[in-house]
Amino acid sequence: MVVLCVDGVDCYYGSVKVLEDVRFSVKERDFVGILGPNGSGKTTLLRSVTRTLKPHRGVILLNDVDVYTLKSSEVAREMAVVPQDTVITFNFTALDIVLMGRNPHLGRFQMEGERDIAVARKSMELTNTWHLAERPINELSGGERQRVIISRALAQEPKILLLDEPTVHLDINNQLEIMDLLEELCIKRGLIVLAVFHDFNLAVRYCNSAILLKEGKIFSAGDVEAVLTSENIKSVFQVDAIVKKHPFTNSLYVIPVSTPKAPLSRNLSVHIICGAGTGTTLMKIMADEGYSVTAGVLNVLDTDYETAQLLKIPVVGEAPFSQITEEAHRANLEMMSKAGAVVLTSVPFGFGNMRNLEAVKEALEKGIPTYVMEEVPIQRRDFTKGKAGKLLMELKRRRAIFVMSQNELLSLLNISEEKLKMAEEVPTKIPGHLKPEEKPRQGDRADDVKSSDHRG
Amino acid sequence: MVDERDLTGKNGVETAYFRRFSRWKLLLIILMAALMLTIFLSLNVGFAQIPFHTVLWILVKRVPFLGSLVGSPNVSYVEETIIMQIRMPRVLAGALVGAALAAAGVVYQGIFKNPMADSYILGVSAGAAVGASLAIVLGIGFTFFGLSTVPIAAFASSIIAVFVVYNISRVGSRVPVTTLLLSGIAVSIFLSAIVAVLQVVAGGKLHVIVFWLMGGFSYVEWRDVWAVLPLVCFGTVATYFFARDLNILSLGEETAQHLGVDVEKVKKLLLILGSLVTAAAVSISGLIGFVGLIIPHITRILIGPDHRILLPTSTIIGSTFLVICDAVARVIVSPVELPVGVITALSGGPFFIYLLRKKKESYTV
Repeated sequence: MVVLCVDGVDCYYGSVKVLEDVRFSVKERDFVGILGPNGSGKTTLLRSVTRTLKPHRGVILLNDVDVYTLKSSEVAREMAVVPQDTVITFNFTALDIVLMGRNPHLGRFQMEGERDIAVARKSMELTNTWHLAERPINELSGGERQRVIISRALAQEPKILLLDEPTVHLDINNQLEIMDLLEELCIKRGLIVLAVFHDFNLAVRYCNSAILLKEGKIFSAGDVEAVLTSENIKSVFQVDAIVKKHPFTNSLYVIPVSTPKAPLSRNLSVHIICGAGTGTTLMKIMADEGYSVTAGVLNVLDTDYETAQLLKIPVVGEAPFSQITEEAHRANLEMMSKAGAVVLTSVPFGFGNMRNLEAVKEALEKGIPTYVMEEVPIQRRDFTKGKAGKLLMELKRRRAIFVMSQNELLSLLNISEEKLKMAEEVPTKIPGHLKPEEKPRQGDRADDVKSSDHRG
Repeated sequence: MVDERDLTGKNGVETAYFRRFSRWKLLLIILMAALMLTIFLSLNVGFAQIPFHTVLWILVKRVPFLGSLVGSPNVSYVEETIIMQIRMPRVLAGALVGAALAAAGVVYQGIFKNPMADSYILGVSAGAAVGASLAIVLGIGFTFFGLSTVPIAAFASSIIAVFVVYNISRVGSRVPVTTLLLSGIAVSIFLSAIVAVLQVVAGGKLHVIVFWLMGGFSYVEWRDVWAVLPLVCFGTVATYFFARDLNILSLGEETAQHLGVDVEKVKKLLLILGSLVTAAAVSISGLIGFVGLIIPHITRILIGPDHRILLPTSTIIGSTFLVICDAVARVIVSPVELPVGVITALSGGPFFIYLLRKKKESYTV
């Protein structure tokens, strides 16, 4: 049983402390991902394990022996390293490079023998590079070269494989191929894999445990699903992320949501009526643009509801899969009356959320400028036997502003916001919003519908 | 679709790989024979006209057993002296110096991963120049184990120069190659300035210094050869044991460490061997440029980057090349001798450029 144990390691570059009290241990069949932002000490950790950077404090034990007391060749027989990038000075062939992996097994005066070639061949076949054996290494593509380098590591016949962002130069199919290979080696041959990742999704898909580093310290370590939570990602990377279980792969997946660089502040508050995911991108964009956004009424399990929660948008919620109750409706109207504008997305209507449409009508009656997005024609999303369609026509008559796209909506809101500002400066003018200059174009509606069909 | 591998046989690549080893052996035997032939032919070259068969007799006579068989032909004492006491040591010195410079050049290019590296990179040449110039200017007349002052001073001061360069670059137990390279250049420039000063104050001995700096084998005697032979042979052959390490070092020092090479130890040993060998060569020949830079490159273009074959072939080719250059230098504007460094540069430069142009696609350093 091979065990690697890192115990209380402190590392310095000069006088700068880059690792502090790092301790963990890995054993056979562990597939460990090391994650963390740039400069958090991931590569340093690998370098201290591979004896490139000696820790000031603490020990690294390989099978209970301090690695810094071992000979280079002894370590190299147990532990192989795949670096981030490899610059090869002289133009060796791919096979030459892989055979260099046999070095720790060869005596100083020994030439490679049958077995060494056989091991090299096997390693190259595993990474699908045997056909490149006689090609000069510097003529290979980045991906091919990286696979050759991995073969070289495998040719060492190591028990532990350390990789520093192994797939960073590879395209997506090569990434998966290499990761599948590593997983297989890990499961079938008990290889310990310890790899630095930038890609959360590769990490969660393949690793069984993870180490999350922050500023040189272990922030969280253990089972990958326990480590990669959106809270941890938020506090280590300062990035909001959605972490969900993927229905096909049954592993977690992580979607980082970018945070706005410098939120603009705008005076206009916008109430969005959406649902079924139709408001997700809109809420995100509007929030980034600096509008104060509210939303309602949304069922609790709705995607839009989750987005609103994530973006910390005030929202009127309703129990999952249930009709909008009178209570929620009233709360919605209440919230809406405070808004400077109301937006209705191309949400599908059933009897459950008809009340939202009625709320829009009331907003119009109160004189709140109302924008209706019609990316998908109402006929295709009306599950109320035409009731919703009729109500929508009613809104149109009452001069709701119909828009065909998000961009159109945003530019109209922008204009009205500017008018609002001007109105504040010149109080004689009536404060308010852009009035629709003309009735929405109806003649070309049919064409627009077709062109936007696929988006529905 | 037919896979190419199926056509070449399943074990095509493996067989080719092992065939390479026997090809290497053959190559070395051929090159060694070529060197012997070159040495023999260059014994025939010189101001005094000595017939070919006479030279052959003189040599065969000295071979045990074979010598007694051929009997005693009519060879004059003068001819024998010219061949054995004048030409022979000089030709052998050329062979030794060429071997040393080329081997050290390969080693340094391997360690530094820099195509500009040559055998003089660590200040060996500048150090030797200071020592030799100083000995010439001061005119110190003592001898040491039968050797004259100038080679000893050159050898000693070049070793000191390398020692200084090494210690300037040392950080703890490590020696970063970039620092080594730069401090080598800095120390060389500094020492060259001292040589310039010595030249100015040399007065009537100026021409002696200038000739020494240009390099050549005019004054080489047997005792010089005997002094240098063990150092060069031992040093050069010792580097071969680190050929695989040099291969791996070309992947970068960190990677080499991961592949089980004790990088700092190997580097230190190779630097010592390279300096020792170069210093020994320079002490008897003066500064002969180009061999330590161009021969490794030419050999690498011709046979590839594997140091296991590159080192020995480079040694033999360097040896052969310098023997030829010296022979040419002796006779091309006879009776005046050209400095051998002129010949190495004039012939090696264009040939190198030709190879570089011809093979530039596949040649990267």
